[in-house]
Amino acid sequence: MPTTLRIALLAGLLALLSNFAVIGFIYARTHDEAVASLHRQVTEQARVLTDVYRSGGPGALNDAIDDTLQYADPQTAIALIDRDGRQLKGNIAAAPPVQSMQQGYRNAVIRLAGQPSPHTAQIVLTRLPDQHWLMSGRLVGQGVAFRATVERSLLLALAVACLFGLICGVILAHYVARRVGNIAAVANRISARDLTQRVPVSGSGDSFDRLGMQINAMLDRISGLMEELRLLTDTLAHDLRSPVSRLRAAAHAAATTSNPNEQEELLNSVVRNADALIRILTTVLEISRSEALTGRKQFAWFDAGELAAELAEMYDPLAEERNASLQLDEPSRPVPLFGHRQLLAQAISNLLENAIRYGSSGGEIQVRVRNGEGRIAIEVADRGPGIPAERRDEARRRFGRLDSSRSDEGAGLGLALADSIARMHEGELVLSDNAPGLVTTILLPLHGAPAASAA
Amino acid sequence: MGRKILLVEDDRETASYLAKGLGQEGHTVELATNGQDGLFRATDGTFDLVILDRMLPVLDGISVLRALRAAHIETPVLILSALASVGDRIEGLECGSDDYLVKPFSFAELLARVNALLRRREARIDPAEHRLTVGDLEIDPLSRSVKRAGKKLDLKPREYLLLEYFARNEGRVVTRTMLLEQVWDYHFDPGTNVIDVHVSRLRRKLEEGFEKPLLHTVRGAGYMLAA
Repeated sequence: MPTTLRIALLAGLLALLSNFAVIGFIYARTHDEAVASLHRQVTEQARVLTDVYRSGGPGALNDAIDDTLQYADPQTAIALIDRDGRQLKGNIAAAPPVQSMQQGYRNAVIRLAGQPSPHTAQIVLTRLPDQHWLMSGRLVGQGVAFRATVERSLLLALAVACLFGLICGVILAHYVARRVGNIAAVANRISARDLTQRVPVSGSGDSFDRLGMQINAMLDRISGLMEELRLLTDTLAHDLRSPVSRLRAAAHAAATTSNPNEQEELLNSVVRNADALIRILTTVLEISRSEALTGRKQFAWFDAGELAAELAEMYDPLAEERNASLQLDEPSRPVPLFGHRQLLAQAISNLLENAIRYGSSGGEIQVRVRNGEGRIAIEVADRGPGIPAERRDEARRRFGRLDSSRSDEGAGLGLALADSIARMHEGELVLSDNAPGLVTTILLPLHGAPAASAA
Repeated sequence: MGRKILLVEDDRETASYLAKGLGQEGHTVELATNGQDGLFRATDGTFDLVILDRMLPVLDGISVLRALRAAHIETPVLILSALASVGDRIEGLECGSDDYLVKPFSFAELLARVNALLRRREARIDPAEHRLTVGDLEIDPLSRSVKRAGKKLDLKPREYLLLEYFARNEGRVVTRTMLLEQVWDYHFDPGTNVIDVHVSRLRRKLEEGFEKPLLHTVRGAGYMLAA
């Protein structure tokens, strides 16, 4: 997987860079010229002695060793060792066996002749053509020895850092790939139409968890909508069936009857049923559109109290005709509301029609507009039979009609439309008990008075 | 009193049905089947009314309307649309149309609106009369007082608005949705007979104690105020 590889390399590179920075810093603070010059002296001395052997043979080398030891400082250590490990010449009293060592520049702990304790030394071990070993070097002072150790450790640390950086990268890449892979796998299964899948959440609250939770919340919303849509299609199909079949029957009868009076009556029935169908479809469309929040650009400031009063006045004669009285409890001051006046008018009229249709038997219908606690409440209360608490949710849903035998088509949509219009305004429709009767309330958030329209 | 009407409608069946009906009413109907053609013909300004479908090929109805108004052509425009939601209706009206009718509609509804728009055109040409009279009914729009046979009638503010609208469309059919839109300024379709209740109240006040009916019910269409 190229992405995983890239993440691994990037993580490794970042680890390396930071390690380099730390190591470089330590090196810069501890590096000393002394270490380098010691290295130069030791190498030079070994080269000179080897050259002497090459040009003058073993005898010249012996003399050269003597001379060097005689005139050099006491830190100098030289030994000519035969193939059995015995020292032929030199001042090294004790050293690791040459057979265990490899040729070249190295560290060793040796004891010089006449000294009580061993010391660390930098030496060069050379194998001469006559199978003898030449060990040549210098004892290392305390500081230099320490610094040399640090430098070697740093070098080693760098190598380890490289390795760990790469391992970290691989682990990290693997981790990311696994977490992302989980989410991708869920997305895959969802694409394959299984909406019940959810992203596993580890509970650590990290970014992956938050992403997962957001995806889950989105999926919950989608499956909720899908369920609603399924319910809608089912009930729509069911609810459209009866007016369509009545329409079909009336049209068929009109086409076959010979009595002109009867025919006119039947054709009127065709028109009535067609109108009912259109009304259902229009309302369903209206609900979907207000739920999709289209039309928000038509929002404006207006007085909710005035709108309620206007609608109460409009429906008053209708209530009276059903032997009920419509009473308006108007607020003393204007209630400024930012919203879609036409749609809210429709929502309130739906509540009024609902109250008149099902609650007028109780005589009194009250319309109230209240403003407080950061909310605007537009309330219609009747004294009818009401809706039992456990069925109120159902009543608010699309097609959630409580009386399935009802003959006036589309009536079940009124409260659903009011609810979706309220939600379009970031509010809700609340159904409550009027003991006896039903209170339907459109609750809307109060956005504060219009600043610009004060003039 | 035939008028010249431009019908911009791409659905041939609807177009021929409307053209036939309007022709029977004595109007001359010209047909355009796409927006561009419609705009082109409407710009000559000789039509008394443009009936414009909202969804048209080439150029949609709203764009045609905007172009017409931008060119200062003030011919009354009636929009026909399958877009039925309240928001769509408001949008259609705000674009400068004089009326908005949702498909499907009855021919009676269309005719009533066409006649109201043509009548408005007349009123625009003639200076508005100060006093409206229908038979023995007298309406004074300034003082909002109404008399029948010299006797003052006591109307509520909304009843007065209703009557004034009827009087301005004297002898023409006025539909329920026209009343809801023009008198109440609401654009939704009420699920009840609320408009009829208001009309019958007004009728009672107009006709109680008088022999001659003034406010007539037109079956399958609406109402008409006529002496």
